[in-house]
Amino acid sequence: MPATYGITDFILSNLLMKNILENMNIMNKVTTMAATAALSMAMVTVSVPTLAADSSEPIVIPTHNWSSQIVMAHVIGQIFESIGDIVNYTPSDSQTVYESIRQGDITISHEVWESTFGASFKAALDKGGILDAGTHVAKTREEWWYPAYVAELCPGLPDWKALDACADKFATADSGGKGRYLDGPMDWHGQETLDRIDALGMNFVAKFAGSASALWAELESANAAGRATVVFNWSPNFTDAVYGGDFVKFPDWSEGCKKSEGGDGKCGSPPAGWLKKAAHDQMPVKWPHAYKTFTNISFTAAQIGAMAAMVDIDGLSAEDAAAKWIGDNAKLVASWTNS
Amino acid sequence: MRHLAQHPKLTQFGLILLAFAILMYMAGDYYDIITHSGTFNKLVASGEIAGATGFFESLRLLLNGTLPPQFVRIPENIVWGLPELINSSLLYLVEDLWKITTVDPVYGFEKNTTVIKEFTRGLAGIILVMINFIREFILGGTKTIASVMGWDFIRDTKASWPALPWPAVAGGAFLLGYSLNGMKLALLAFIPTVYIAIFGQWIPAMETLSFILVAAPVSVIIGLSLGVLAYKVRTVELFLTPLLNVAQTLPHFSYLVPVVTFYGVGDQAGAIATIIFATPPMIRLTILGLKQVPPETLEAGMMSGCSKRQLLFKVHIPTARQDMLLGVNQVIMQCLAMAVIASFIGATGLGYDLVVALNSLRIGVALELGISIVLIAIVLDKLSLAWANKSVDYLAELPFHVRHKHSLMFLAILALSIIVATVVPHISEFWGQMFYLIPENQGFSTDVWWDKLVKWVVVEFRSYFQIFNTFMLVSVLIPMRDAFLAMPVVATFTLVMGVGYMVGGIKSSLVVGGFLLFIAASQWWDEALITMYMTTFAVVASVIIGLTVGVLAARNTTATKILLIICDTFQTLPSFVYLIPVIMLFGVNDVSVLIAVIMYAVIPCTRYTIEGLRNVPPSILDAGDMSGVTKWQRLIKIEMPLAFPHIMLGINQTVVFALFMVIIGAFIGTEDLGRLIMGTLSKANAMGNGLTLGLCVAFIGLAIDHLIHTWADKRKKILGIA
Amino acid sequence: MSVQQPVIKCDAVYKVFGENAQKMMRAHNGKVDPQAFAEAGCVVAVNNASFAVQKGEMLVIMGLSGSGKSTLLRCIARLTDTTAGNIFINGVDILAISDKELIQLRRNKMGMVFQSFALLPHKTVLENIAFPLQVKGKSTKESMQRAMDMVELVGLDGRENSFPRQLSGGQQQRVGIARSLAVEPDIWFLDEPFSALDPLIRKEMQDEFLRLQGVLKKTILFVTHDFDEALRLSDRIAIMKDGIIEQLDTTANIVLNPATEYVRKFTAEVPREKVLKIKAVMDPVGDTSDWSELRVPADAIIQTVAEAVIGERKPMAVVDANDKIVGVLHAAKVTHVLFGEKSALENSG
Repeated sequence: MPATYGITDFILSNLLMKNILENMNIMNKVTTMAATAALSMAMVTVSVPTLAADSSEPIVIPTHNWSSQIVMAHVIGQIFESIGDIVNYTPSDSQTVYESIRQGDITISHEVWESTFGASFKAALDKGGILDAGTHVAKTREEWWYPAYVAELCPGLPDWKALDACADKFATADSGGKGRYLDGPMDWHGQETLDRIDALGMNFVAKFAGSASALWAELESANAAGRATVVFNWSPNFTDAVYGGDFVKFPDWSEGCKKSEGGDGKCGSPPAGWLKKAAHDQMPVKWPHAYKTFTNISFTAAQIGAMAAMVDIDGLSAEDAAAKWIGDNAKLVASWTNS
Repeated sequence: MRHLAQHPKLTQFGLILLAFAILMYMAGDYYDIITHSGTFNKLVASGEIAGATGFFESLRLLLNGTLPPQFVRIPENIVWGLPELINSSLLYLVEDLWKITTVDPVYGFEKNTTVIKEFTRGLAGIILVMINFIREFILGGTKTIASVMGWDFIRDTKASWPALPWPAVAGGAFLLGYSLNGMKLALLAFIPTVYIAIFGQWIPAMETLSFILVAAPVSVIIGLSLGVLAYKVRTVELFLTPLLNVAQTLPHFSYLVPVVTFYGVGDQAGAIATIIFATPPMIRLTILGLKQVPPETLEAGMMSGCSKRQLLFKVHIPTARQDMLLGVNQVIMQCLAMAVIASFIGATGLGYDLVVALNSLRIGVALELGISIVLIAIVLDKLSLAWANKSVDYLAELPFHVRHKHSLMFLAILALSIIVATVVPHISEFWGQMFYLIPENQGFSTDVWWDKLVKWVVVEFRSYFQIFNTFMLVSVLIPMRDAFLAMPVVATFTLVMGVGYMVGGIKSSLVVGGFLLFIAASQWWDEALITMYMTTFAVVASVIIGLTVGVLAARNTTATKILLIICDTFQTLPSFVYLIPVIMLFGVNDVSVLIAVIMYAVIPCTRYTIEGLRNVPPSILDAGDMSGVTKWQRLIKIEMPLAFPHIMLGINQTVVFALFMVIIGAFIGTEDLGRLIMGTLSKANAMGNGLTLGLCVAFIGLAIDHLIHTWADKRKKILGIA
Repeated sequence: MSVQQPVIKCDAVYKVFGENAQKMMRAHNGKVDPQAFAEAGCVVAVNNASFAVQKGEMLVIMGLSGSGKSTLLRCIARLTDTTAGNIFINGVDILAISDKELIQLRRNKMGMVFQSFALLPHKTVLENIAFPLQVKGKSTKESMQRAMDMVELVGLDGRENSFPRQLSGGQQQRVGIARSLAVEPDIWFLDEPFSALDPLIRKEMQDEFLRLQGVLKKTILFVTHDFDEALRLSDRIAIMKDGIIEQLDTTANIVLNPATEYVRKFTAEVPREKVLKIKAVMDPVGDTSDWSELRVPADAIIQTVAEAVIGERKPMAVVDANDKIVGVLHAAKVTHVLFGEKSALENSG
């Protein structure tokens, strides 16, 4: 041991502690069986002699507070379990998770949204300790959004000029007669929103919701009352299936068009953002099989939407939804674990 | 003039207000700048306006009747560097101090780490093992026991410990309640357990329970130890008191990121954040309790031949137990109050499920989860209380099966429910699950009804709410907010320190001035003013509502009882539950935030009003009746003045509750300190920002706390009820 | 008289409160002037107390609040540290023994009853009484059985599973007494044990105390502020004022010959005939031959026999419980007690 400290006992006891931790996890018991059944064939036929065995330490998968992410966590977790790994699920904040991955407290993140988490992810990449584990097929989109029925209230949508023209329909008590656009938390991209309204001279004010939940509450409330509303939203998201709806069409995005990047600010968000996967930098060494599988895993927007719908609409638990999804997509899953 | 001399306090206050008004007027052209939060600093930074002027220029401005800029907002100063200092110090502690290199035992790669980090992670590991051990005992699993005991055979043979069937746990709860304090407690323990099971919340509830069963005892033990230490060693007490003051007013969100940095994420981190929050009241009440033990009792212990240790553990601590039990009660309540917040850094269970449910707008589910949290709190509280008050009959010569009848009955129930859980699935899969472990999506739920109710209210009453909203925002809240922001910093100091002087002389004036100075010198004064505006409004409204409801309820014993139960429930019900319905009814604006804040902050004021009024000595009331007072006179002239010191403590609590809830209001959408604190959550390297912002909030609370306590103490002395 | 080692012996005991106590003592060479000490911020609670209590004897320390009586008791029990002087229990200097030895001493030799009862609120009557035994390490069964005996001794049968809060003051003090006696101590300290009780209950408890003492014959230090109680319970009283023992003497001597003006104030109002016993006014057996027919018990309170005695011209025999003659009583002495010094008859006595 290269240890150059005089506290051997302390460290030893600590390592013992580690061993204990390594061997632990809490996982669901019942639902894994479906996944195991679906995967058993693949397991028999495949062997990967070039790689060492995966560590018996648990792989820690974060769960955030939206359905698709949780179901996906369980899908990936159950796939890992099917190849013999031990998995722990830990609730975590969707922003701090990258720092936790760097520290090794969490092993992977499977939904890295370009615009929302891109900055946190990049910052962590620069510091080291985290790997870019590839990109999902799914493209993401984030923009001003309205539920389907609003199109009838404001003819001409999704064009932004049409939206601006019926700004009064979007007015609220505190918007001073202008239209009110409910953005996500200020920290997400608040300045950009203000810049855009300013640059386009829109008859709108931006109000910043404190959390995604607040967005959904406003959406649901407006929907129930049939009231016009325009909020920040993204796709794929559960709202696609629940409300239908469309993104507002702003002037096309081009590289450097944002004010913060020196442009005039008269543009919308990028039409397609990436959805990446991240992993702790020791994952390829400690869990080579799992890491290989993880880099292979790739979801489409439709698949992500379907996962969310199983929970949000069909009322399945996340574990059951994951097991069902794996059962429904056995071939695809096998292709991830085999290659 | 004579009139003024007769009312010196009134005169003082008048002078303060006059000075305040003049200073407000002298802000002059700055009005348009400072009423837009953050603009002043921005303009100074961009050089459009000066941040400070020289001495002679300032003098000239003052003589012209305008304030120099440094009197309007304190310019950039040393405090602005504090967040970075805190941040780098903490990072130094955890990443640079006392570096060591460990080697992965299996893979051989080296890891650079530090002793402090290894130590904190090790500590977190121990807590995690304890939580998982209890969790696996209840919910099934063998991983923890196998790794702790080194039983490799378990992994090899895939032997498994099944979950306890819920009827067994419910039966156990019943028996435990019964053996501790009879049928009433038995039912009180039994019914909530059944509720939790049949509402399909068994797994998250047991996860939360296992979490609490570790966090609460650890908090109690740490609180007890520190309390005893502080009692024994005066310097420890002097050191602890300000820390406790800050810890009890620091918003939880401001220390979540440091906890993550030191302890990682997961149940262990959630438990540690919970322990930080739950321990202070235990310490306080331990010190209080120990101080109140009569010296003769200790002498009796010594004369009974106690050694020092025996004296402490068998005499001193048990004699102080009334206060300590109150501490335990507080710990349990605080732990469950943290259930939701702890889930932000990885705690599983009801709190996490609640956040997820809210995020997918399942209000009914969130409410049911919230009720489960309340029920667990009540059951744990009552059971622990009964356990502490339990007596033993030593002389009864009972045969084994009578002496251990409850344990034996539990074993019988356990066996029976295991048999049922094993046999029934062969007959019906559905009923098999019902008697074993009801999954979340198969439990009974009133979800749909709640959602329908909220939607119905939204559809039917939205237009009325809209009118109310517009009125509140346009006529009350926005003007009030602007008025707060329009205060030049000297005016704020004049007002606050002036009131401090009136309440407690020079000392109080300096204390509140000191707290204020820290906030004013930080770069977040504007945001702090918005926090103060919202807190002020919420406190005033809560006090009016709380006093009214309290006064009305205190007249009637039944009403009192019901209201106190409601207070208990709402205090433990996670406030997140009503954030979403409030948004749906009132929209994303300050009205929603303030309604949510008032719902929470009104609790202590109501409770203390009732307690205060009901504790007025009956002899004084009789004396009043004999003097022929009317009911109204009795209330105004006798009851309220006597109850007021106690009510003031309730108002004090209301202030702290309001502050905490204003911060949580950031989830709806605010522009105050709370939003900034939430913002730090997403920046792993913003520990310094989070803690400094937290301190700003804490200092607002502590300044008000100081004023109220000083006033109430004075008043109590005058009334002779100190 | 056999030379017996006193059970309790105090030798020039001082207790001075205040930060500079030790320094002041040294500076004044052990000569304590309360005035000078007070100026230095010290309070002299016990000032040069010296006395001895023999085995089976009872001494009542009487004084008003602030007289230092309870402090003196606490010095002897070593509940407070003594500033100067020596205290011997059975010849052992208890100020010199280690904490461990002190604990042993308390576990085996001492019992104490407190004014506020000082029961442990979380323990039942039985557990409270058994507490000193359990602390000592006795088995639960043994201590509970012994405690039950004590419950019976103090007449609390049936209440053994009650908590102190469920008992009346008198009952609580019975528990306190039972607890102090549970380890069968040789020395029994009672610090104003009945002061917190109502007058009727107090009387009842005093009787109970006398009954117990009649059975147990402990060496007792009893502190009270109630002069009547002191007279009622004891044959020897120490009267304290401002930390100084003004007079330590038999009841009779204190009542009949108060040593200081302070003591006289207490005795002035005392109805002596109700307090003094015959043996306090009897003379030693001399060469009397012309005995009266009347025989008087030595322990009789004067008032109870006065009517019969007062007309008797001949000397009467005073007898003890075994009817043995222990003294001679002259009627004049009784008259003196009854009517005091101003009585015309006094001259003839």
